[in-house]
Amino acid sequence: MSTVLTEAPAARPASKKQPFVLKGVMQAPVTPLHDDFSVDYDGLEKMVNFHVVNGAPAIAWPHHKAESPNLTMEERKKGAEVLIKTVARRVPVSIFVGSLSEEDSLDLARHAQKAGADMLLTISPYCRRPTQEEIFHSIVRIGTHTDLSVLTYNSPWRNGEGVEFTSELVQRLIERLPNYIGVKDASFHSEKFTEISRVALRMRPGFSIIMGLEHLLASYPLGACGSFSSCGAIAPNLCNRFFAALEANDWDTARACQYKITRLYRLFKDQYPSSLKGAMISMGRNAGPIRPPLPTASKERVEFLCRQLEELDVINTEPHGW
Amino acid sequence: MSTFKPGLVHVPVTPFKADQSIDFDLYTKILEYHLKNGADSIAVPMQQAEDVSLTEIELRQVIEFAIKQVKGRVPVIAHVSDPGTGIAVERARFAEKAGASAIASHPPYFWHPKPSMVVEHLVQVGSATGLPFFICTPVVEDAGTHLTGEMVLEVVQRLDNIAGVVDSSMRFVFMAETVSNGREIRPDFQLLSGTDFMVPNAAVGGAGAFSPLSSVAPKLARRIYELCMKQQLVQARTLQEDMAELHHLVKQGGRAGLKTAMRAMGRECGDPRLPGLSLGEPAMSQLAARVVACPYLSAEPRGW
Repeated sequence: MSTVLTEAPAARPASKKQPFVLKGVMQAPVTPLHDDFSVDYDGLEKMVNFHVVNGAPAIAWPHHKAESPNLTMEERKKGAEVLIKTVARRVPVSIFVGSLSEEDSLDLARHAQKAGADMLLTISPYCRRPTQEEIFHSIVRIGTHTDLSVLTYNSPWRNGEGVEFTSELVQRLIERLPNYIGVKDASFHSEKFTEISRVALRMRPGFSIIMGLEHLLASYPLGACGSFSSCGAIAPNLCNRFFAALEANDWDTARACQYKITRLYRLFKDQYPSSLKGAMISMGRNAGPIRPPLPTASKERVEFLCRQLEELDVINTEPHGW
Repeated sequence: MSTFKPGLVHVPVTPFKADQSIDFDLYTKILEYHLKNGADSIAVPMQQAEDVSLTEIELRQVIEFAIKQVKGRVPVIAHVSDPGTGIAVERARFAEKAGASAIASHPPYFWHPKPSMVVEHLVQVGSATGLPFFICTPVVEDAGTHLTGEMVLEVVQRLDNIAGVVDSSMRFVFMAETVSNGREIRPDFQLLSGTDFMVPNAAVGGAGAFSPLSSVAPKLARRIYELCMKQQLVQARTLQEDMAELHHLVKQGGRAGLKTAMRAMGRECGDPRLPGLSLGEPAMSQLAARVVACPYLSAEPRGW
């Protein structure tokens, strides 16, 4: 049944006052690796610190950009601990607990709470075309398993693949879970976004709709509060300038920033996050190789990316080194 | 490069009689309704006009009839999409002779040609006339080859009379890439919304819209359009959410949804042409009741 065919839902505030506000271009660090592909935890510390020092309003790890499907459970737990310790409450921390197995997600959720995270980002296990009912039960299981605030990851793909949170599903989850505080939205689609925003923001004012990447310009006027970043490891100044322009309703500046970010994302999209790590080398922040089956950026690719960053005037306008 | 700016474009439905023929008397009323209720331009026959259910003769009749009825009061944009390149080309030429102000076409339905062939198709249709040419994204994206930003860019590079893209994909990345890449080559390149989600389109740098729901809520469409033109995008949020709710509601009725909503507003336009079916009862009455109950429609015109 469609949301609009039922009575308008009553507002349901979150159970307790959320101690943090999610707003701005939030950073989701890559996972630095040694040449032997082991996780470089010292590098992760540097990476996280770089983001916080350069204005990240929140830190989220390990998103797909951090190669989360290629990390072991132990690596994800240890990485979360390093991250939380490094951030040291300077900004809120979100830990992604999505995985192929729901039992692993529950384990990661328990660990994140114990380690001191501020919130979880979760999704029903993917690669199996879950129904809306299955997604609902999955999220309720995780959401009632933790005291942390919960974000869900809306990731619809073409042709019904992916895990889609419709407005009806978001409504049911807000009714069911007092700790459900927001969505990471990767629909990047006017109709799908507005369906969620108009329902969720009326039911739970302050509900955080965070764009999955910085495709934020189209959704900001309709209530998106920020984004998780694709290019913050390269161009944090650009990210911060973009969000400041949005807040000021300076649309010309915001457009110029969005167009540049979109061009950057197109560069990084090739075997994402392989090209992103490749581009980081030119910025003096080598985060090492990429775990197979994804390829590590070749020398030629790194050189190409460097030329592109020069052409986009990123090299001279963004911070170098850690 | 074309400087034609269509503004808020209304897209009239095509009314049919019980014997399935086009009801041109009623079509006159529909066109006059749109002219009276704020259309800056009129586009015929778009997807909401069931263009794929019309014969070649009818497609030309509709274009010719609309141009004659409008009598130059606003520009008429002729939509000529077709699976066959040659057929679309000939229809575009016919529309130009009939007095259309611009041509619109999307990539061919049914076939899944390679991107280079889609580009060739669009270039041939666009260059068939000297009129401003708009590329439309297909409403049903999987019914042909997906239109990508790269394909649009190639057409922009090759067609002097390209005016812009009418976007129904609603995909943020496509919208942003299309408008930014297009303007690097042609500063006047336009991105129009092909749906009533005008705010996201305006945010990424678009202007104007082909508005299907102007058949139901022309005042609401105009208010959103005006706020977008003034760049008051955050201020337009509530109105855009109302329009999104109406869109969602009409969508529940499938192909018959728009005509059912128009009926609810006192503008009886009959049923969709076969194989499209009427919603039937009780679904039709239920949907109509929900439409008239929408508080934001209270200020909208009823009847013709």
